[in-house]
Amino acid sequence: MKIMKPAISIIMLVFSFSILCISCGGGSHPSGGQILYWSSNNSYEIEFARQITEAWNKEHPDHRVIFQPVPEGQSSEEVILAAVVGKTTPDIYSNMWEGDVESYARAGVLVPLDTLKGFTEFLNERCDSSVIAEVTSADGHIYQIPWKINPIMLIYNEKEIKNLGYRKAPASYSGFFEASKKFQKDSDGDGYIDRWFGYSEVQVTWWQRFFDFYPLYLAASGGAPLISNDTVAFDNKYAVQVFSFLRELYDKNYFSRERLSARQDVFLDGVIATRFTGPWEIAHSERYKPAGFEYNFSSIPVPDDHKGPIYTYGDPKNIVLFKTCPDPGSAWQFLRYLLDEKNELKLLEITNQLPRRKNVDGNRLYSGYFDRNPKMRIFAEQARYVKGTDQSPVLKEVFDLISQEYEACVIYGKKRPEEAVKDAAKAARLLFIK
Amino acid sequence: MKKILFYFALAVSALVFVYPFIWMISASFAPENQIGSLTFLPSGFTLSSYNQMFEKIPIGRAFVNSLFVALTITFGVLVFGSMVGYALSRMTFRGRDTIFYIIIFTMTLPFQITLIPQYIIMVKLGWVDTYWALIVPYLMNSLAIIMFCQYFKSLPQDLIDAARIDGCNELQIIFRILWPNSIPAIVTVGIITFMASWNEVLWPLIVIRNENMMTMPQLVALFAVGGRAESQLGVKLASAMVLALPIMTAYLFFQKYFVQSMASSGLKE
Amino acid sequence: MKKKITPYLLVSPYIIYFLVFTVFPVVFSILLTFHSWNIIAPMQFIGVANYKRLFNDPVFWRSILNTIIFLLIHIPLQIVVALFLAEVLNQNIKLRGLFRGAFFLPVIVSGVVVTILWQQLYGYDSGLLNRLLIKIGLNKIGWLNDPLWAMPSLAIMATWKNVGLYIVLFLVGLQTVPQQYYEAADLEGATHMQKFFRITLPLINPTIMMVVILSTIGGFSLFIEPYIMTGGGPLNSTISAVLYIYKQGFFYYHMGYAATLGLFFALIILSVVIIQKKFVEKEQ
Repeated sequence: MKIMKPAISIIMLVFSFSILCISCGGGSHPSGGQILYWSSNNSYEIEFARQITEAWNKEHPDHRVIFQPVPEGQSSEEVILAAVVGKTTPDIYSNMWEGDVESYARAGVLVPLDTLKGFTEFLNERCDSSVIAEVTSADGHIYQIPWKINPIMLIYNEKEIKNLGYRKAPASYSGFFEASKKFQKDSDGDGYIDRWFGYSEVQVTWWQRFFDFYPLYLAASGGAPLISNDTVAFDNKYAVQVFSFLRELYDKNYFSRERLSARQDVFLDGVIATRFTGPWEIAHSERYKPAGFEYNFSSIPVPDDHKGPIYTYGDPKNIVLFKTCPDPGSAWQFLRYLLDEKNELKLLEITNQLPRRKNVDGNRLYSGYFDRNPKMRIFAEQARYVKGTDQSPVLKEVFDLISQEYEACVIYGKKRPEEAVKDAAKAARLLFIK
Repeated sequence: MKKILFYFALAVSALVFVYPFIWMISASFAPENQIGSLTFLPSGFTLSSYNQMFEKIPIGRAFVNSLFVALTITFGVLVFGSMVGYALSRMTFRGRDTIFYIIIFTMTLPFQITLIPQYIIMVKLGWVDTYWALIVPYLMNSLAIIMFCQYFKSLPQDLIDAARIDGCNELQIIFRILWPNSIPAIVTVGIITFMASWNEVLWPLIVIRNENMMTMPQLVALFAVGGRAESQLGVKLASAMVLALPIMTAYLFFQKYFVQSMASSGLKE
Repeated sequence: MKKKITPYLLVSPYIIYFLVFTVFPVVFSILLTFHSWNIIAPMQFIGVANYKRLFNDPVFWRSILNTIIFLLIHIPLQIVVALFLAEVLNQNIKLRGLFRGAFFLPVIVSGVVVTILWQQLYGYDSGLLNRLLIKIGLNKIGWLNDPLWAMPSLAIMATWKNVGLYIVLFLVGLQTVPQQYYEAADLEGATHMQKFFRITLPLINPTIMMVVILSTIGGFSLFIEPYIMTGGGPLNSTISAVLYIYKQGFFYYHMGYAATLGLFFALIILSVVIIQKKFVEKEQ
C-alpha cells in the first residue's frame, strides 16, 4: 500500500511518455538512402505522384523514392513551416508556393539548385529568361524549379454577354463599366439589386488579393513587381488605376458587397455574369452547370490606355529540395524525370494543371490534350504572360497591408485610391527598416 | 398578479441566456437551407451536418486529445498544487515567504509577455506538435497552490501529528491524510482546472499545427474560420455543438459545484 | 535530516517550473525585443528598431483603442446587468437555483462555441437579431460589418457570456450585507430603491471593484472572439492586442517584434491593474 501513490505517478509518466513516442511519429526520415517526396494533398496530384514514383522506382530500384501527401493542417504552408522548425522536412516538396521560398532560402534550409550538375542548362531549356529572373533569389542562386501554374482569367457567361450585345467579355475598364451598367438589375422588384456583373470576395484576408487586386495590377502594369530589391515598387499609377477600377465597381454596386459565396454557385445561377478564376473552375462548371449553359474565358480587364500583352497571376507552385536530403544528386535525377516532357503530359491529363514550361500551347506532344480540352488551350496561351510573386520574405505582410487599404478604399470608400496606395506603401516601407 | 409578472420577466431574462443554445441544437439538426429562417424547431430533421463534419475534420481524435490533456493537467495541478500548498502552509523553512510572494507575483504577471518565449522554448525542446507542449506549461497553477495552502491551513494540526506518529512520510500525509479531508478544495481546483484546460484555445493554436494533435476547441475554431466548412453554417454549428456537449452535460449534473468553484476562484483573485 | 530537506523537495518542482516558464521567458523576452528573428534563420541584433516600429505602428495603437472601447462598454453593462439580476435573485424567490443555473450556463461553455453561435445571431442577411429587427419594423444593423458596431457587438457578446459569473459574485457580496440595516430602513419607511442605493450599493463596493478588475483583465485577454468573428476587421475596429501579437508572432513569424508588442502590452496591463488596485485600497 505504501507504494501506491508513487506507483501511480510512475504509471502516468510512462503512459505519457509512450503517448509522446506515438505522437512523435510522422515525418520521420526513411532509412537507407531512400528519398522522401511530399506532394500536395490534392487527390489528382496524389495520383500523379503515385504514377511517377512507381515508374521511377521500377527503373531505379537502388534510388527509391517514397512519396507522401503533405500532412493535414490548417494550410500546407503552415505544415511546411512546422516541419522546417521541427527539422522534420522531406527531401523534395513539390507544392511550395513561390511566395514562401525566399524566406526559406535566406534561412539556409534549401539546396541552391544551380549548384547541381546540369541544372542551369535544364532550366534554360524549360523556361524563358523572365521566368528564370523571377525565381532567382536575392543572393543570385536559384532555390526553386518552376513546376506548374494556374493562371487567373475572367470566366464569362456567353449567353448573357451576347444578350448585352458583345461578342466576348469586355477587355477594358470602360467596357467593363458599360457592360456592368447594362447587366445590373433588380429582377424581383424588392428595391434591392440582385444581379451583378461580377464578384470578388470582400474578405480582407491577404491571399484574397491574388484573385482581384494582384491579377489586375499585373495586367495593367505588364507584369510589374510589387517589391523589388527589398523596397516598395507598387507605389505607381497602375496600383491606383486598379484601386479606382475596383472602387467604382463597388461604389456603383456592379460588384456586390454582400457575401454571395454562402449561396449556391452564383455564376452558374446567372446571378453574376463574370468572375476572376482559374482553370480549376472548368471541372467544377462542367459538373454543375445547368443544361444549355455556355461559358468561356478571356483575359483580365485592363485600363483603357493599356498597350501590350495582358499579364496575369499564375498561382505558381514550385519544387524545392531541402538541405536535409542525404542524396541531392539522385533527388535531382528524379526531378528531371518528373519534369520530363512526356511525364508532364501526364500532369496535364491527370491534374488539368499547366506545367510552367516554354511553349506549352505549341508543343506537339500536348496538342492532343488541348484538342480535347479547348478551354485549357486559352489558359495555355495566357501562360506566356504569367507572373508569380516577388522574391521577398515579407511578401505576406505586404499583401496584408495592401488588403487593409483595399478594405478602406475599395470596399468602404473611406479613402481615395491615391491615398490608399500611398498609405499602403508607407506602411510597407516600415517593414524594410534596418 | 405582480408575482406572476415578476416570474415571467425573470423567466424571459433566463431564456435570453439559454435560448441561443437551444437554437444552436435545432440548427445543427436542420437542413442547410432552413437555417437562415429558423427560429425554434426545424421542419426537417437531418444528420447531414454532423455526417459532413465527421468527414471533414478528425473531431473524434480532437476529443481524445482534449480529454487526455485536460485530465493530465488536472491531475498534475492537483498533485503539485497540494505538494507546494502543503509545504507553504504546514512547514517552516527558509525562503517560505519568498516563495509565497513569488507565487502571488506570477499570478499577476500578464501572459502576453511569456507567450512568445514559451513558444520558442517548445521549439527548442522539440515539443511542437506533441502532448508535452500542451501539458507541461500548465502543470503548475498559482491559484491552485494558494487554494490548497489556505485549505490545508484550516485543517487541524493533530491530523498531521497523528499521521507522523504512525510513521508516514510527507507525501503520504498529503495524499492519504489531507486529501480525503480536503474534498471541497480538490473539487474546486479540479473543476476550475479541467474547465480552463478544456476550453483553452490560444496556446494550442500556437504550439500545434498537425491536425491529428489538435485539441477540440482549436479544431472547431479553425474549422469555423477556415475554408473547409465551405460556408456551410450547419457543419460549423454541428462542430460547436460537439464541443459544447461534454461540458454542458457535466454542468447539468454538477451545476452546484461549477458555480461554487468558479465563484471562489473569482473571489481569490 | 530528512525533515529538513523535505519542504525543499516538495517545492522544487515549482521552483524549476518558475525558472523555466516564468523567469527565463521574461528575460529572454526582453532580449528578443532587440533582435529580429523568424525562427528559421539566425537571430539578428537590431537595437531599438522594434521599439521604433511599435511607436509608429497604427495597428497596435488601434488595438489599444479597441480594448478601451471594449472595456468602456463591457464593464458598465456587466455591472448594471449582473447587479440587477443578482438583486432580483437575492429576493426570496422559488427556483432560484434554476434561474441562477440558466444565467451561469454561458460561463462554462467554451468561448469558441459562444463566438460561433453569436456569429450566426449577428449575421447581416439572415441572422436572428436582424430578422427580429425587421419584424418589429426597424432597419438591419451591420453588427459585424459596420466599423462602428463591430466592437460594441463583441462587448455585448462578452457581457452575455460572463454575466452569470458576476451575478454569483454579487450574490455572495449581497449576502454579506447585514440584515439589520435593511430592517432599520424598513422601520423608517424606505422604498426598495432607496434601500438599494443608500445601503446595498455602498456596502458592496468592494465586490464592484473586484468585478471591475476581473473584467479589465478579461478584456485585455480578448483573442478568440475577434479571431473567429471578424479577424480583426472591419477596418481594424476589432483587432485586440493579443490577436495582433499572435498575428505578428505566429503568422508572420516576426518573433522579435511580437515579443516587443507582448512586453509593452504587458507593461500597460500591469500599470492599469496596479492603478486600479491602488484605487481600491484607497477606497478602503
